[in-house]
Amino acid sequence: MTDLGNIAAVARREYTTRVRTRSFIFGTLILLVAVVAITFAPIIIRALAQNDAQRIAVRVAAADVQGDPVATLSALLNATTETGSATPDTKADFVVTAVPDLDAARQAVVAGSLTAVLAIDRAADGELRFTLYTNDSATRPTAGTIRQASTAIAVADRLARLGVAPAEQAGLFAPTRFGVEWPDPARTGPTRGTTEVIGQDMLSFGMTILIFMMIILYGTWIAMSVVEEKSSRVMEVILNAATPFQLLTGKVLGVGSVALTQYVALLLVGGAAMLAEGAVADAVLGETGGAALPEGLTIGLLLLFGLYGILGFLLFAVLYAGAASLVSRQEDVNSIVMPMTLVATAGYLVGVYAAIGLLDIRAGWLVVMSQVPFLSPFMMLGRITAGEAVAWEIVLSVVLLILAIVGALWLAARIYAAGVLLYGQRPGARAIWRLVRSET
Amino acid sequence: MALVIDGLTKQFGTVQALDGVSFAVEPGGICGFLGANGAGKTTTMRIVLGFLRPDAGTVTWNERDVRDWPRRTWGYMPEERGLYLRMSVLEQLVFFGSLYGLSRGQARKVALEWLSRFRIADAADRRAESLSKGNQQKVQFIATVLHDPDVLLMDEPFVGLDPINVALLKDAFLDLRDKGKTLVFSTHQLDQAEELCDSVAIIDHGRIVTAGPTREVKRSTGHQVVRVTTSTDGDLDWLRSLPHVTVTRPGLDYTEVRIDAGADAQDVLRAAIARGDDVLRFEVADPSLEEIFVERVGALDVEERTLAAVEGGS
Repeated sequence: MTDLGNIAAVARREYTTRVRTRSFIFGTLILLVAVVAITFAPIIIRALAQNDAQRIAVRVAAADVQGDPVATLSALLNATTETGSATPDTKADFVVTAVPDLDAARQAVVAGSLTAVLAIDRAADGELRFTLYTNDSATRPTAGTIRQASTAIAVADRLARLGVAPAEQAGLFAPTRFGVEWPDPARTGPTRGTTEVIGQDMLSFGMTILIFMMIILYGTWIAMSVVEEKSSRVMEVILNAATPFQLLTGKVLGVGSVALTQYVALLLVGGAAMLAEGAVADAVLGETGGAALPEGLTIGLLLLFGLYGILGFLLFAVLYAGAASLVSRQEDVNSIVMPMTLVATAGYLVGVYAAIGLLDIRAGWLVVMSQVPFLSPFMMLGRITAGEAVAWEIVLSVVLLILAIVGALWLAARIYAAGVLLYGQRPGARAIWRLVRSET
Repeated sequence: MALVIDGLTKQFGTVQALDGVSFAVEPGGICGFLGANGAGKTTTMRIVLGFLRPDAGTVTWNERDVRDWPRRTWGYMPEERGLYLRMSVLEQLVFFGSLYGLSRGQARKVALEWLSRFRIADAADRRAESLSKGNQQKVQFIATVLHDPDVLLMDEPFVGLDPINVALLKDAFLDLRDKGKTLVFSTHQLDQAEELCDSVAIIDHGRIVTAGPTREVKRSTGHQVVRVTTSTDGDLDWLRSLPHVTVTRPGLDYTEVRIDAGADAQDVLRAAIARGDDVLRFEVADPSLEEIFVERVGALDVEERTLAAVEGGS
């Protein structure tokens, strides 16, 4: 029969038998619950943290300390946890109070009713001395913020002792006029803020993880399904009806559709959860959250994510299927697909490191690597969200990917044709090459 | 107008699997393909079906290369059962049918007809793994004939079937032959081949030892078989002393002897009468396929040939 008819029949069987299995249904449900949980995690954590604000006591033993140490500490501590959106009616995360008795306060820290006590006294040379009594690690962010606040208090104190009036101090601490501009004079748009960059980094990071998971997870499914047909000898029955090319293509498309079903469900539920985040935060926390879809998530980027995901999956999937046809036992699947898994993992690690800034995303070798078909699905999204990939680079990488898929399909169909009837011994590289060449 | 296998050779590594295999199967007939394990049966079938390429030789069906015929021309039943164990019986039959271009509705209808003919209609919605071996085998056979192929190649179709199912399958074979289908099957049970086959081909070590219409093959050695019972049962010395006669099967009921080519079987009867015995039974027959086989090849299953491993099955 026609190629298309048989490919469709094979794909249909792959799809229907898989989506109906209990493991698929439950697996998808668990993933959906996980996506919703991750989306709402910040709200849940804040809702839980809301009820137990950390209590910090300040004991000021030194006389004539400039300003109000309690107010300075409280402002700094509460500012770091809620950037910008702190509203007056929000309950503070830290409650800072002045206490008269240091020993009693230290007892309270031991007993757990206080998180920490900060004692301020004046040393013999006139400098303020700060001591933090706490069970927490000194490297925790809270301790760091308290150290920062202490420095601010100490600097104000030193200035006061040098005779700078409080009004003049305000001028001293006024923010510096500092600007960031694009290097290209022709480029005039606003530069990107830090939070925006982090948001986009996380976006490409997340998408790269999703592509990697899809390739490894469903690639392994395809490999397993090839070996299952081989070991149950169904292969010989269907080989009489369909060509190896039809079987291979149908299998990849069928399992790919299963993956797509799962991913679309995840994206829809995840997107809906993100949109609902604001309203939920409203209801649970009693605050108006600015939650929406992540910044930088455009339709264009989603389409590119889908494109690289699907093309990357197809490329690896046909090779997984071809490789799996060379073995006849499930135990041997992992070792035969290992080379491809290693390539995918390497591309994924480099892509993720570049996306989160551990590697210089502008480095020449990285730009070249991001065009290599087996690596581009993991590396281009990071470069695109960082604004480093221009249109022709995207087009070129997609074209190279498609060419690689055609080549892989040709190679895999040949290996498949020769491999599906091989039982027993696993052929070496030379034998595989001979098989590929003999299948003309 | 026939399935013509001409001069097939195939080498796997250092093993010569096929060494000039040639025989022809007339359309509308049943051909038994006989040989020990590893003799080259599966390899030959795989080449006929186009799964493997021969190193040399051709296979044609109605004067056209087998690879040029649409896939639905062929039905293949591999020796090892190949079913999707976790799929329901009907579902996978519909799938197999649709691969040959049948519509799903058509495939379903034909599959159900065959299932009820084989008395396993109630298994339609059960997973293949829950069926007994014999029933799985019947499903396998349905998968082979579902798309109404003109030529059926079956590797050991009778293995593992109980006598009732053997009868059902034989009946189906004869039906298909009467509809003009061409059937080729391999078997170890030579009595079944003898009963069903219009022609046979015996293969050994990758070479065809003898092939042709069953009757001709049976006569090909020139030997005849005589079954004789006389009133002096138990005394076989007179038979052994006759020229051109070998006692092959002494028995209580009757004694079977082989008459060398060119000798006259009637000499045995004359000798018995000359002895004054009462002849209770005297029968002249062609040797059985099993005798032909043993004579040409040696005993079946005497040894597993190394080729069995290479072929991946038998």
